[in-house]
Amino acid sequence: MISGGRADQGFVLTTVAGLLVVVALPLAFVLLQAIFPNFGSGSLAAPFSALVEAFSDSKLLGLTLNTITLGVVVVALSSLIAIPLGVIRALFRVPLASLWDVLLLVPFMIPPYIAALAWIMTLQPRGYLFQIAGFDLGKLLFSFWGVAIVMTLNVFPAIYFAVSRTVGAIGNRLTDAARVAGATPWRAFLRVTLPLSAPGIVASLLIVFAMTIEEYGTPAALGARAGFDVLVTAIDTRVSDWPIDLSGASALSLVLVALSLSAFGLQLWLLSSRSYETVGGRSADTTRHALGAWTLPVILLFAVVTLLSTIAPLFAILATAFSRTISGGLALSNLGVDNFLAMAEGASGGVEALRNSLLLGLATALATGVLGATSAYFVVRTKLKGRQVLDALTVLPNAIPGVVVAVGLILAWNQPWWPASPYNTPLILLLAYCCILLPYPVRYANAAFRQVGESLEMAARVSGAKPIVTFTRVLLPLIAPSLIAAMLIVFAIASRELVASLLLAPVGMQTIATFIWRQFDQGSVQLGMAMSAVTIGVTTLISLAFALLSRKVDRTA
Amino acid sequence: MRRAFLAKGLIVGAITLGLATAATAQEKITVYSAGPANLIETLAKGFTAKTKIPVSVFQGTTGKVMARIEAEASNPVVDVLISASWDTATDFSKRGWLLPYTSPNAAKVPDFLKTKDAVAQGVSALAIAWNPKSGTPRPTDWADLAKPPFKDLVTMPDPAESGATFELVAALQGENFQLFKNLNANGMVVAGANAAALTPVLQGAKAAVFGAVDYISLGGAAKGESIEVIFPTSGTVIAPRPMLILNWSKQPDSAKAFIDYVLSDEGQAAVAKVYLMPARTDVKADRPLIGDLKIISVDTDKVYAARKEILSGFNAATGGK
Repeated sequence: MISGGRADQGFVLTTVAGLLVVVALPLAFVLLQAIFPNFGSGSLAAPFSALVEAFSDSKLLGLTLNTITLGVVVVALSSLIAIPLGVIRALFRVPLASLWDVLLLVPFMIPPYIAALAWIMTLQPRGYLFQIAGFDLGKLLFSFWGVAIVMTLNVFPAIYFAVSRTVGAIGNRLTDAARVAGATPWRAFLRVTLPLSAPGIVASLLIVFAMTIEEYGTPAALGARAGFDVLVTAIDTRVSDWPIDLSGASALSLVLVALSLSAFGLQLWLLSSRSYETVGGRSADTTRHALGAWTLPVILLFAVVTLLSTIAPLFAILATAFSRTISGGLALSNLGVDNFLAMAEGASGGVEALRNSLLLGLATALATGVLGATSAYFVVRTKLKGRQVLDALTVLPNAIPGVVVAVGLILAWNQPWWPASPYNTPLILLLAYCCILLPYPVRYANAAFRQVGESLEMAARVSGAKPIVTFTRVLLPLIAPSLIAAMLIVFAIASRELVASLLLAPVGMQTIATFIWRQFDQGSVQLGMAMSAVTIGVTTLISLAFALLSRKVDRTA
Repeated sequence: MRRAFLAKGLIVGAITLGLATAATAQEKITVYSAGPANLIETLAKGFTAKTKIPVSVFQGTTGKVMARIEAEASNPVVDVLISASWDTATDFSKRGWLLPYTSPNAAKVPDFLKTKDAVAQGVSALAIAWNPKSGTPRPTDWADLAKPPFKDLVTMPDPAESGATFELVAALQGENFQLFKNLNANGMVVAGANAAALTPVLQGAKAAVFGAVDYISLGGAAKGESIEVIFPTSGTVIAPRPMLILNWSKQPDSAKAFIDYVLSDEGQAAVAKVYLMPARTDVKADRPLIGDLKIISVDTDKVYAARKEILSGFNAATGGK
């Protein structure tokens, strides 16, 4: 038997080592590349020249302001939609509640670049909306607000699920107590429920902000037409346009990192020195209040939101996937299953790409789930020295564009002195996805740990349980719903990650996203959309199966 | 408990590693290729069937392929590079990265499509891709797209993102970019890469692409899309796709054999099948060939040396960044 102390030490070391390999290593190489422009070829000449050049660029300020504006506007719009919906879902008996939950899960499954393309094909002149209703919204779409709205419709479910879960965990018990003490329902909500659910809500706002400033697909597809440039598109230009400027891209990434760290600091400050313990020894009261006269308006609200965020893009994707030609439009004679047949027959390795991506998504979800839960535990629950550094390390990747993580990984792992390297194997994609997506489980687990009372842990310790046992037997089950939700998001995003995959995919290997992107690049938009439709269907079904399974486990436990 | 916990991560890693482990045969060559994915897959399969030499392919845009080579510089793995831009051949030659090679099969490749260390795989040309269902008159020359019937109905790929589009801009810049100023005044949209410019034209949001890559549109037309490829009367530019052997290749003989194969009858037929012009003049193709087109010659050394100025002149004329 291993003694308690040594087991703990191993536990800490493994987590730290995992974070170093997954996050610190590629980021260190990005930093080195930013400082030494010729680092890729093994030279340390002309240090800081690229940084000086990037920071003296007159466009930098504009790009940074655009990025911040977009992030703030998307967070604001998302909150506007998601917080009311989430609160209603958590505190009241909403008719068809599970259906809305499933439908609002779908935007996660739609890759942002596909959603942007779907909106273009729907709203541009002669697009699907015009073919159905006789008018178009091309002007709105190709503007700043078009970019912000399309991104909002893609990310707001992150806040919706966080709100409905955290508010749901608090339940009505405490507010009912406040009501008994004389508070109005509104006051009870504002003074009791909202403050107590703050960690979960703030964490999800931070995630949405970071997702927005890091997202490439939508600004590239819509922003370019609107003359609206952000840091990520500028970074991609440096990595794609000959002559390639890896150092300039790395330098601009540092600005994004600074932005994300500021948002992270803001979160810490907002949540500091307050207690959010709501999960004590007793199980939460899960009775929900009736909606009464509000039933119909609430159903309508959910219906409109799901129509815009889920049904509309899905319709465009399916319409395109079932079209023989794009120019044929929405005509019955133009519909057919040709594209799906071509895929099933294994055209260009579609089936293989699907399998590769689903396996990678699963592996990423498991790996980030384990690493995320353990690092959040150390940060929230222990007094370890340097735990804030650990915490910062887990949010950093959120701010770094996928393409830069990819460059960092190549620089880090393609050095000739490694005895063995994951580069040019599928493992490099796993590393990339873990790095990019680790912040999700960490943030969700972090928020969940903050809500679990310390008394439970103390009780376990007093009863003689080692920390590792307390963690796995007491804490882990309590945060499991949050962690599983985060892992599902990770699975969905990892299985269709595009930007890093385009650069890192080992020779001869395709993923879902690289497959779709190739079809688009070759003018086969329909085949790309057919693959998107299959992917959305498969990832949604897998996520639902997991969710149902975990709920069952939860109940029997 | 803890061991099971840690083992999870390792098992996951092992599964993934086993997903698609690349073959590590001695003779294996690695090809990085921009452009038609189905073409490089056909070529790789045909080559392996013929020579028993396995080929690993990485496929991306010219930009992504270059970024990968740049980031790999300290430990390069690519043996053969097929770029969509001749500029790559010139640049790599200057850097001393290329292995000179003249394939016996290159005899029928015209001189302007080969140098001592590069030879074209095939050639594409830029054209007007016009949707006949758009209700606009059939354009015959670039300047037609600046006329009133095409008001707000033209898209153009971004010359900053595509080497061929850049050369077209350089060839047509004229006096102070007047053509592009006219197009801009007529509401032309400059955005994205080649495919991004084509989709709105297919759906009818726009009527024509200024400077579409011809083979993609020809392929679309063959599939029944309402799109016509028009080569403008005043001429256009071509984009030969250079094949290069990198001098760090550990399998130079296999790499040479691959070049030979692409230039063989079988290889060139595959090139023609995706509607590219074959590099060899004696191979037939179901499309207009170099001899059928009026080509504006571009002094590539000169225009690429002035790339920054030309792009900023273009951006000023079209109201871009």
